[in-house]
Amino acid sequence: MRNRVWSLFLALLNVNYGWSAAKYYYLKKRQRVWEPIVIAASIGPVLVMMLWFSWVMTEQLFMAGLSFGQPHLPLVIGTLMVAVVGLFFGFFYVLSSFYFSNDLPTLVPLPLRSWEILVAKLGVILTGQYVLGAFVLVPMIIRYGLLARGGIPYVVIALTVFLVLPVIPLVIASILAVLLMRFVNLSRFKDRLTLIGGILLLVIVFGSTYWMQENVGTDDPSVLIERVLSQADGLIYSIGRVFPPSVWSAQALGYATNATGWLNLFYLLLASVVGLVVLYLLGEKVFLQGALAGFEGSRGRRKHKQVEVQGESNSAFLTLVHTERKLFVRDPNFALNGLVGYVLFPVMLLIPLFGASLEGNPFERLDLGGLHPFLVVGGIALFFTLMIAMSMIPSTTFSREGRYLWIIRGLPLSIEQIMATRVVAAQMVNTIGCLLGLIPVSYLFGWRIWEVVLGTVFGIILSSTVAYLLVLLDLSRPMLDWVNPVKAVKSNLNAIFGLLGTSILGLLLGFIFYLNVQSQTLWLIPFELLLISLLLGSGGWYLGRQVAWKLWSKI
Amino acid sequence: MIRLQGVSKRYKGASTHAVRSLDLEVKPGEIFGFLGPNGAGKTTTIKMIVGLLKPDQGRVLVNGHDVNAEAVAAKHSMGFVPDKPDLYPRLTGMEYLNLIGDVYGIDGATRRRRLQHYLEMFQLTEAAGDLIQSYSRGMQQKLALTGALLHAPALFILDEPMVGLDPKSSHLFKEIMRDHVAKGNTVFFSTHVLEVAEQLCHRVGIINQGELIACGTMDELRKSPGRAGSSLEKLFLELTDEGGSDEK
Ligand SMILES: Nc1ncnc2c1ncn2[C@@H]1O[C@H](COP(=O)(O)OP(=O)(O)OP(=O)(O)O)[C@@H](O)[C@H]1O
Ligand SMILES: [Mg+2]
Repeated sequence: MRNRVWSLFLALLNVNYGWSAAKYYYLKKRQRVWEPIVIAASIGPVLVMMLWFSWVMTEQLFMAGLSFGQPHLPLVIGTLMVAVVGLFFGFFYVLSSFYFSNDLPTLVPLPLRSWEILVAKLGVILTGQYVLGAFVLVPMIIRYGLLARGGIPYVVIALTVFLVLPVIPLVIASILAVLLMRFVNLSRFKDRLTLIGGILLLVIVFGSTYWMQENVGTDDPSVLIERVLSQADGLIYSIGRVFPPSVWSAQALGYATNATGWLNLFYLLLASVVGLVVLYLLGEKVFLQGALAGFEGSRGRRKHKQVEVQGESNSAFLTLVHTERKLFVRDPNFALNGLVGYVLFPVMLLIPLFGASLEGNPFERLDLGGLHPFLVVGGIALFFTLMIAMSMIPSTTFSREGRYLWIIRGLPLSIEQIMATRVVAAQMVNTIGCLLGLIPVSYLFGWRIWEVVLGTVFGIILSSTVAYLLVLLDLSRPMLDWVNPVKAVKSNLNAIFGLLGTSILGLLLGFIFYLNVQSQTLWLIPFELLLISLLLGSGGWYLGRQVAWKLWSKI
Repeated sequence: MIRLQGVSKRYKGASTHAVRSLDLEVKPGEIFGFLGPNGAGKTTTIKMIVGLLKPDQGRVLVNGHDVNAEAVAAKHSMGFVPDKPDLYPRLTGMEYLNLIGDVYGIDGATRRRRLQHYLEMFQLTEAAGDLIQSYSRGMQQKLALTGALLHAPALFILDEPMVGLDPKSSHLFKEIMRDHVAKGNTVFFSTHVLEVAEQLCHRVGIINQGELIACGTMDELRKSPGRAGSSLEKLFLELTDEGGSDEK
């Protein structure tokens, strides 16, 4: 007999990561055994890259920091990154695991206290964050330890920091989520939630550049970094004002040999304990009521699709487009998995800003602000194309219907028309999502409006042709037999194949651009984009004419 | 065992009460049937008893514990099967049952004995190692029943338990209920199958539009003038129809 909270935690972990499901399918039934191999082969390299990147960045930032008398610069940036990403994902994961999850009616009648459910669920999220954070923190801590020759105290502090650091952002995210659940009836806002997230991102980006201008007097990243670094502990304090725990972590690691280090570790622990106590009190008082209030009013969970086919075919077309778009954005299982890329990419582009002027920094040579206009156009087109694959909207469009597929099958529309509605819907989400990230990034790098507009136009054209091919891919082997909607996107191989294929196209395009740079024929880029779109578009269209109806009638 | 005192519930945004000042007492050793037309408020009442909904007014006591103030104590004496059990599809049946066992703190020996008993009875032993998502509706129902019986609850509470069970299973299930009360426990269930209620229940309550319109043993219900010898069906139709016309 195990402790009940521990048992619940293990069960939730199992459900979340599908261990039993994996065992059942791969080992017991021996079905789709090649799936985990493909997944490991595609994810493995990315993880190795992350480890390597963190290792190298730590070294570079350490050296750069050393010249300003701030060798623990990599620690500040690394811990801040983990904290920010933890806060962001934490918020969405907390919402999805408390508010959108359907297991509360099972758990509530059991003799468990509110905080026990809360702890088990947070534990699952936290576990995920440790695993993800490890890819940044472990290489960073080891590399730094080697460079700074930290002894036993460093190891002790490092372990503590590693364990405690993700707790605070998660506690903040949960407090926000618990309060939100209690006082706002979210189900009415599910549509707008993603939009609000996007706007929030805009506000943060613009706000932080404004703040930097006000406080440091410039928004030119290279000047900024130099100025901040030349003041003793300057950068650390400016970051500390935004998120103190990351500074405490960095100081604890950086001064592991003396009292400052332990004092900062103490702050970090104290803050976590205070946070946990607040969360415990909130959990006991409002968590369950908030979560259960969510079940009132909303009678069903997944709504059946209802498509009105009235009047001319035109309106049926648009209705289908909007239905597809709404159903994707509304279902948190789909939206959370598909839309993160739109937020993550711009953030990842912005993070190197911190190191923009450091010697030997690989980003220095890139000089994103001074790119040739046509390279910007090409880059944006590429961005749109990669994003549409990453959103998984086109590549899982039929799979997501699952057992509701019969609804569209019954409609008096040809498969070509249905595919077109899927492409348009995916493109609508993609364009909005891409622009949300693109606008602040262009603003920061000072790209001109016509570059961005032209890039967007090419991006829409190219990514639509790719989307058509992805829809065709999903039509050829839709995965319809899911019970849990997450399966339809997360463990759908069409999404992975689509992403792989699109990445290869991206690499190819990147290589062509590289050749253009070498031979100084950058003016060719728009024509190349058009040509490729034309090739893919006509190829896809031809293929669609040949096989789509056959595939459709075979499902 | 169960005591509802002036319990009312109105869903957010609804114009009328789903349940209105309901008073009800179910004694230990009783099988109590809860009847009423669709939308009468049966599920709402049951959800308030098990703590899934908080009453706007009134109190719910289970085994002497207030369901909201002493939630854990009250829940320890209950086993609940909802009308549409939604169990973790990605756990195996056995993993789910062990989770339940751990949560109620049932020791290994007792757990094995009871599991063996119920799984064999419901013919789930084979399927216990499979994922719940591969179960049929009836199998899920039986798994939920097993889970709810695992800690031999003083109060066994079920929302429409007969739906989806094959004739053999529902026969077994009736046996289980009789056995369960014979040991001094209590069973409370809602149903639309009036024959089952008539055969099985010591007392029934009929709810219509959120109000309890009749409650008592079959004999007591028939006692009212003009109803001598009526079947439960006739009684039910007359009573719920009156309730409807009263409103108009
Ligand atoms: N989640 C909910 N949100 C809003 N109103 C609800 C909700 N659930 C039930 N209701 C309303 O409360 C009333 C009582 O519903 P309840 O589910 O308790 O009926 P029931 O007696 O169980 O019916 P059935 O026999 O169909 O199961 C109905 O009018 C219903 O519309
Ligand atoms: Mg009901």
